[in-house]
Amino acid sequence: MAFVHTFCPPFSRGYSFPSLSYQRSSFIRPVLTRRVVVRSNTRKSNAPRASFDYDLAIVGAGVGGHGAALHAVAKGLKVCVFEARDIGGTCVNRGCVPSKALLAAAGRIREMKDADHLRALGISLDGVSYDRQGVADHANGLASKVKGNMANSLTALGVTIINSRATLLGAQIIKGSDGKTYTAENIILAPGSVPFVPRGIEIDGKTVFTSDDALKMEWVPDWVAIVGSGYIGLEFSDVYTALGSNVTFVEAMPNLMPGFDPEIARLAQRLLINPRPIDYHTNVFAAKVTPGIPGQRPVVIDLIDAGTKEQVDQLEVDAAMIATGRAPFTEGLGLESVQVETQRGFVPVDDRMRVLDKDGNVIDHLYAIGDVNGKMMLAHAASAQGISAVENMVGKEHQVDHNAVPAACFTHPEISMVGLTEPQAKEKASNEGFELGKSVGHFRANSKALAEGEGDGIAKVLFNKSNGKILGVHIIGLHAADLIQECSNAVARGTTVDELAFCVHTHPTLSEVVDEAIKGAVGMAAH
Amino acid sequence: MTEGRIVQWLKQPGDRVEVGESVMVVESDKADMDVESFEAGYLALIQVEEGESADVGATVGIIVESKDDISKVGTSAPAPAATKAPASSSQAQAPTPAPPTPEAPKTAASSAAPPKPKLAEIFMPALSSTMTEGKIVEWAKGEGDKVEVGDMVMVVESDKADMDVESFEEGYIAHISVDAGQSCVVGEPVAFLAKTEAEIPLVKAWATSTSAGASTEKATTSEPSTSATTAAAAEAQAAPPVTTTSTPASMPVVNEGRIIASPLAKATAKKEGIDLKYVKGTGPSGRIVETDVLKAKEAQPVQPYTPPVGKIIATPDAKKVAKKEKIDLAAVKGTGNFGRITAEDVLRAAGKAPVEVGKAPATKSSPAKPAAAPEPSKTTTEIPAGAVAMNAMQKAVAQNMTASLTTPVFRLTYTIKTRALDELYAKLKPKGVTLSALLAKAVAIALSRHPIMNALYSEDTIVYRSEVNVAMAVALKDGGLITPTLMNADKTDLYTLSRNWKDMIQRAMDKKLTPKEYSGGAFIISNLGMFGVDQFDAILPPGVPGILAVGASKPVVGLQENGLVGVHKEMKVTMTADHRIIYGADGAEFLKELTNIIENETTELVM
Repeated sequence: MAFVHTFCPPFSRGYSFPSLSYQRSSFIRPVLTRRVVVRSNTRKSNAPRASFDYDLAIVGAGVGGHGAALHAVAKGLKVCVFEARDIGGTCVNRGCVPSKALLAAAGRIREMKDADHLRALGISLDGVSYDRQGVADHANGLASKVKGNMANSLTALGVTIINSRATLLGAQIIKGSDGKTYTAENIILAPGSVPFVPRGIEIDGKTVFTSDDALKMEWVPDWVAIVGSGYIGLEFSDVYTALGSNVTFVEAMPNLMPGFDPEIARLAQRLLINPRPIDYHTNVFAAKVTPGIPGQRPVVIDLIDAGTKEQVDQLEVDAAMIATGRAPFTEGLGLESVQVETQRGFVPVDDRMRVLDKDGNVIDHLYAIGDVNGKMMLAHAASAQGISAVENMVGKEHQVDHNAVPAACFTHPEISMVGLTEPQAKEKASNEGFELGKSVGHFRANSKALAEGEGDGIAKVLFNKSNGKILGVHIIGLHAADLIQECSNAVARGTTVDELAFCVHTHPTLSEVVDEAIKGAVGMAAH
Repeated sequence: MTEGRIVQWLKQPGDRVEVGESVMVVESDKADMDVESFEAGYLALIQVEEGESADVGATVGIIVESKDDISKVGTSAPAPAATKAPASSSQAQAPTPAPPTPEAPKTAASSAAPPKPKLAEIFMPALSSTMTEGKIVEWAKGEGDKVEVGDMVMVVESDKADMDVESFEEGYIAHISVDAGQSCVVGEPVAFLAKTEAEIPLVKAWATSTSAGASTEKATTSEPSTSATTAAAAEAQAAPPVTTTSTPASMPVVNEGRIIASPLAKATAKKEGIDLKYVKGTGPSGRIVETDVLKAKEAQPVQPYTPPVGKIIATPDAKKVAKKEKIDLAAVKGTGNFGRITAEDVLRAAGKAPVEVGKAPATKSSPAKPAAAPEPSKTTTEIPAGAVAMNAMQKAVAQNMTASLTTPVFRLTYTIKTRALDELYAKLKPKGVTLSALLAKAVAIALSRHPIMNALYSEDTIVYRSEVNVAMAVALKDGGLITPTLMNADKTDLYTLSRNWKDMIQRAMDKKLTPKEYSGGAFIISNLGMFGVDQFDAILPPGVPGILAVGASKPVVGLQENGLVGVHKEMKVTMTADHRIIYGADGAEFLKELTNIIENETTELVM
């Protein structure tokens, strides 16, 4: 699951390796050995190396912290990781990983229940049933397995795992909840986020719950209201409707799926909402959510108008899932000891992931990555930021190009995207005075998609007509999440549509949907 | 106005008619009106005479272009412009109907009213060079919505892709003539736009009347207005509900005046919403402590949930189904959780789902207790109100029973002693074997030895079947009757048969049997023995060779094998068979075989 609530801002940065950093890295590489810390010219500290317990301490062993730890070891650093809860963090334990397990089961159930689709393939089935506990066990089993793998990979590389909460005493000192004090030359804060629950909503973990509890799949309510129609809400609507539930979305914005490209959101509504037992209320807040008792009292949700704040409706449902986004988890982190003030809860950082104090000055040796800095709340973005932070601390100046970070929503069919949405691209085009190009490839024109009987969906490429560079790609359709990588690489490398149009794609594969869109962009469309 | 009576013809056949000239007087439901012609020409023929009525849109007279053409009319089809009965009720106050618009349709064979208001049409676009027909996947706008130039109004599925279609006109959607999910040919109007909001009813009336006359599948055109009214009524009922504050009415007040409670108890009470007035303290000096509050919370009776009065609560699925089936949710009784309307309730109201009484809440589970609504006590039998529509299964049974009269049948009765069978059953019952399975197995073995009893009649042929399947009649709680079939019953062991049978019964109750499982034309057993029925004969459904009616096994005084008089149990079975292929002797031999198996060869059953 892609946990996002601040969605990709329009970055205008391009390629992020200044030539200077190459020179510096070639100078540095020969002297790198274990326990030798290479100092960049930005550092002022002249403390003796031996005075630190670790070269790098990472607070939080989620996907970001894990990625940073692996990269730091590769760079020869002595690393420790603080993790008070579960190795793997939100993604592995309460997010992307278990939700993918639920979606995998749900997708199959949905497929096997679709008698028309199966008949078109010449298959008939005598009813489909599922075992809720079995599905739940699959999700939980997968989470523990991945969690175990991650812990093993850390210990195998010699990373010290400290099962304790960490509080900063300074930029280079951590106090553990185990009572010990640890020093490290550099510290990366990667504490992640927790589900955000708006005021007025009472969570009981059974009838009113967040994704944390929903992933345990302890029961399947007949009717569940999902507050928030972003990635998390959408994915869970896919799971719940496949398992036989009715779903009602409550969305504060005027449209469902507000973070998505509008055209994609419209198509998503047609494929993922309209044909399913789902309805929705937009432009309303769930002002008050009162838990119920199954069989005795429904969950009652008071809906108020987002503008007038007047009560417009009341829902009586069996369960409510709160998917209104995620909030950075900075409680007890000791940010005050380093004069850091959070901004809307997030820890401010510069482009090189260095933490900024309340006056906006860089705090040496202190980095923050992942959900806590709010730049892009995605597991793979956190990992990329972790690697970038390590690069910066060993003297290789590096910036993550967030514009080239893809995102995906694992509904059936999937949605994926990289770069700008169409309205953002239009704005950029008018601001910078170039002509925006748009080209669309259709799944219905793709042999592989038709073979699967899954012809719904499009791939849309937005590009700069003057230089052929890709500004954004949005895909909805079968395996869209797996199709976006080519486009993400192209955005990152600045590959033009003209260059891509001559890249050969395997036939017959879904990748030809993207190929069709790219070829269309340069007037090579065959269809 | 749906029909009009022609009070007077102001013109006679042969008369010259100018555009705007009154040709007839029509009595509508509100007033008599002069109706003017949209066409110039000669009145050639009057089809609806004075004093007669005609439906709105029907041709009442025919106008031709030249005087010479008059003679041609009446012999051939009325090709020229026809005068139609107008729908003029919308302009009832006006002494005369509004003058016809200059853009009166030339192509359509309508010359007179209903007057075409100012409108724009949205056509099915040609989205590709090969496209001849398009399906509307979705309407982005609904009737009554304002449309700007460039607004996306609908999504059309062409042969290649789904495309968003934008409007070239602005206005208000007055009428959608092709609903989402329907197809039409390229160029056909799919919706009509009114220029102003006020003109919506006019355009709608015009559009519905023209399409009702012209189109083939537009049976639903008049319905949107009624469903709109009911939707409005439903909305009116769904007024913002009043939030009820809970007062623990059933709890006695134990503390008057000053209440002494520990800070933690106070905090907990606040958190749990407990009024300390009702909490008895057990702490030092009778002070209320936290455990008292928690206990009080436990003891607090759960507020019985009362759904908001007048509000229709239906699941998203139910609403979608209701829209599709055009069912008014206000008239549907909800049976879901907390009395809400589910999709099944709507289908039932639409006569599409069998009524299922006491259906288990599927395989769902809940964290604490099952979410099943409390069952109403069933001490009295409810009498259905007068005539009740049959469900699909009941209709099928009725049809089948009538059809059975075409099969010539005969009946044979046999008495079977059941001691051996009873003993075997007593032995196998703990292992999950059912009496039904034993009977099925016995019949299957007998059938395998008498192929004619398993054969089917077809015109001038006897169709023998190598597979021995046995069906057994199951009465469903809602009055339906179904015959799940045990496949290869002769070759399947008793335990599997028993398991399969239990599974089939469950699925029969859940309406989840596949047609193959209940309509294979297998020999049928109908067992009413459990009700104590001594003997009966069953009707042979068409396409089945025979049916065995099994009565109850009852103790009878009679001569024992050892020559003494004693008590033994026996049951009477009556077979009804298709005499076109099965003759009396065949049936008798079959029953003798069956009796022999049940009385003497019970070991065969377990093999």
